[in-house]
Amino acid sequence: MAMVVDYQHDLSFPYWTSTRRRFDPDSPFFSSGNIERELLAKQVALDLTEDERNQLEKMVAKDARGVFCPIVGCGARLISLEDFEDHYNARHTASCSVCSRVYPTSHLLSIHVSEAHDSFFQAKVARGYAVYECLVEGCGLKFKSYKGRQQHLVDKHKFPTSFEFFKKALPSKKQRQKNHRKQAMHKKDEEASSKMEVENETMDGLVSAVSKLSTSDSSPSTVSFGRRHTRGLTFVPRSVQHEKRADFRLAGAKR
Amino acid sequence: MADDSAASHRRDPIKSSVGNVAAQRRRQNAVTVGKERRESLVRAKRLCRVGPSADGDVPVEGNDMITDEEEFLLEAQTSSAVEDLKSTVAYQGKGAMQKRVNALRELRRLLSKSEFPPIEAALKAGAIPLLVQCLSFGSQDEQLLEAAWCLTNIAAGKPEETKALLPALPLLIAHLGEKSSLPVAEQCAWALGNVAGEGEELRNVLLSQGALPPLARMMLPNKGSTVRTAAWALSNLIKGPDPKAATELIRVDGVLDAILRHLRKSDEELATEVAWVVVYLSALSNFATGVLVKTDVLHLLVERLATSNSLQLLIPVLRSLGNLVAGDSHTTSTILVPGLEITDGVIKVLVKCLKSEHRVLKKEASWVLSNIAAGSVEHKQLIYSSEAVPLLLHLLSTAPFDIRKEVAYVLGNLCVAPTGGDGKPNLIQEHLVSLVQRGCLSGFIDLVRSADVEAARLGLQFMELVDMGEFTYAAHLFSLLLI
Repeated sequence: MAMVVDYQHDLSFPYWTSTRRRFDPDSPFFSSGNIERELLAKQVALDLTEDERNQLEKMVAKDARGVFCPIVGCGARLISLEDFEDHYNARHTASCSVCSRVYPTSHLLSIHVSEAHDSFFQAKVARGYAVYECLVEGCGLKFKSYKGRQQHLVDKHKFPTSFEFFKKALPSKKQRQKNHRKQAMHKKDEEASSKMEVENETMDGLVSAVSKLSTSDSSPSTVSFGRRHTRGLTFVPRSVQHEKRADFRLAGAKR
Repeated sequence: MADDSAASHRRDPIKSSVGNVAAQRRRQNAVTVGKERRESLVRAKRLCRVGPSADGDVPVEGNDMITDEEEFLLEAQTSSAVEDLKSTVAYQGKGAMQKRVNALRELRRLLSKSEFPPIEAALKAGAIPLLVQCLSFGSQDEQLLEAAWCLTNIAAGKPEETKALLPALPLLIAHLGEKSSLPVAEQCAWALGNVAGEGEELRNVLLSQGALPPLARMMLPNKGSTVRTAAWALSNLIKGPDPKAATELIRVDGVLDAILRHLRKSDEELATEVAWVVVYLSALSNFATGVLVKTDVLHLLVERLATSNSLQLLIPVLRSLGNLVAGDSHTTSTILVPGLEITDGVIKVLVKCLKSEHRVLKKEASWVLSNIAAGSVEHKQLIYSSEAVPLLLHLLSTAPFDIRKEVAYVLGNLCVAPTGGDGKPNLIQEHLVSLVQRGCLSGFIDLVRSADVEAARLGLQFMELVDMGEFTYAAHLFSLLLI
């Protein structure tokens, strides 16, 4: 008898109960393990020569050598992309459990949580208290309104006027891609342009947040990385193999 | 335009037949080729990806691998290839078949050079009805193969492009039959796998058209790429969310035996595909879970976990184990009985996963342990005295958040015995005292502080257990938290 305990709607505070937990295959619980698999949901059947296939395989293996964390000042050396992701998530991001927006610091996350999800906060605002904190750590100033804080960021801390700490909805993927392309063209950073792709919503959110937040040029204009294979994985696009003979007669599409 | 004749088998390198000088220059530079490949690999993944965030639109980043000119040329060639095909299909005279095969082959080449086939151009030119005609019964193998190959790559595109294959499905399914040659059957399975990978709607269409039994039968032989392709296609076909297909699959004659055989003996790549089939069987179908646990599948999964180092294999194997434990209390209570060798084996491989560098393995192994720890007191004692606990304590303070949450479940479950009613929990003092003494509290406090509601609840509930166990020290900490 499987018990799937759903506490989201349970406002009481039950004691710890020792029960089995079962998840559906498409549950978010499994999503990190599913990343690679999702990529294989559809496969193009390529027509590669032996050489091309070898080249591809070698290239994939070489890539597993390591990356440096792209955030300036961090410089952490990470041996695999999973490692990279772990490191990035641990050190450079914080995500809101209510709405999944991602922020580059826990400080920003906690500001977001107060401002977006805390009714007590809203009550204080209504009563005229200065509760909107300046986003720049160390500044400490507080404001009575979102706009007031905004203005302060622009005036005092040179934020771009287009900056929006709280966006109503994340821009569509297409828009984000367009934004990245624009930024990439301006930056012309070799390192950043050997980029790997942003893989999911939260990472995209992170990129927007980071790139918009930096008041210096410290973060790369496009912070992105894809989920490549960690050590031990070699994804080579599948190709249909056929034997080489003078007249094109298919002996068999063997792997 | 460099195009090799049908007789010669020399394949042109990918870019040359587009005839662009710049492309050839790039090709000469090995480093650049490497870079292109890497980027194209990444793009291939994005093309093939079907994620929940897909808003019906495959993102296209500035396509600096192929210029606009080249793309235009490719599209023009594709359109004209489809036109050629049209005229050969209409033509009934002498050498018609050969002409048709040549035309198909040309189209296939255009559609299989790169990870970004000119699918839209092909569809616009009317490729599908022609390809369907080429699939008619009695056609030569070469023709069937080329047509199925074209359809495979069209199906690998955007959702609406995959859907375009609808008219072809009954024929593709038919050619999976036992009378078809293996390469043809495999190519059809590949195309159908792409269609099934698109989404629930298409999966249901395939199932209602009877795709499952023939694909299942293709999984029965001992080896071969056909078996692997069929297993992959099946995993896409049964992934639900409707459990019907999973239940139907396990009932097909010979499938259960084939699954066990492949898990036991096959190479890692095939075992990986089969393991994914087991993942879906065990996650979706109680019937399938019941059938599976009566076999020696747990031994086989443990064996793979113990001996393999391939992450691609370990993930679905571990998850299958987890699903079998989670899906049926029978597994823990009757099969993984403490004291039996199989139980020790399971704990051992879970410990191995906890030691892994891979985050997914650590997280999901913790999840499995938490479910075993939700069993009898003997189960809790078994885990408590194993190598798992020091590892778990370490993970509780150092691992990424999602792992720590699962670890919390394990540790908490170790301290609470199963109760009948919903009164106060039945504490296992010995475990609780020991874990607290070994410093687990700070980890739970961190969870309370996290923004995640579930984690905070876990932390508080554990605190409460400690409080009930009457530790003054812990009670102090707890009250500190409330400030």
